[in-house]
Amino acid sequence: MNRLLAIAVALALAGGAQAAGNAAAGKAKAAQVCAACHGADGNKPIAPENPILAGQHQDYLVKAMKDYKSGKRNNAIMKGFAATLSNRDIEDLAAWFASQKSALHFQR
Amino acid sequence: MHSRTRLAVALLALCGAAQAQQPAAPSHLRNNLSMCVGCHGIPGYKTAYPEVYHVPKLGGQTPAYLVNALKAYRSGERQHPSMRGIAASLSDKDMEELAAYYGGNGK
Repeated sequence: MNRLLAIAVALALAGGAQAAGNAAAGKAKAAQVCAACHGADGNKPIAPENPILAGQHQDYLVKAMKDYKSGKRNNAIMKGFAATLSNRDIEDLAAWFASQKSALHFQR
Repeated sequence: MHSRTRLAVALLALCGAAQAQQPAAPSHLRNNLSMCVGCHGIPGYKTAYPEVYHVPKLGGQTPAYLVNALKAYRSGERQHPSMRGIAASLSDKDMEELAAYYGGNGK
């Protein structure tokens, strides 16, 4: 029972972490920073090397942007854009892109 | 039915549904794919080390991006212990085939 309770609490916390980020604010920020290369909703990369962002996991998107910002993930273009983003912006952008429909899907 | 049993049955049904929607992988890819599905093939799977987050969805992603990601893991430019180990075992051709599989099929 204690274990079940712990799992429930962990899931609730995880749900809370997922919910962080304001998708509407993210949409506005995306139009300024991301849309030119990834498309307004993250669905239309202008180059095949650019990933589809729409529908990707929110926490993965947060990690990617933070890693670009810190330089842990090294990409000259993304480093420049990520440097302009606050942690709040990153959460908002992730909420926006993760909630967009796309061809991205779970595949074994 | 016991609630835990019911949950297990529901999960199994979901797994079956997910598999049914997807064409079988080409036989020559299966060995390499088996390394991917251990994490990316489990819905909602999260990394356990060194940070916790959902592993990215690969299906439908642009193949060129996936190849670049694998190469960056192989070179160590992109850091993740498991991904580095796996990418180190893949040739350029393996990477292109895997990227084409995830990016091209199963839509």
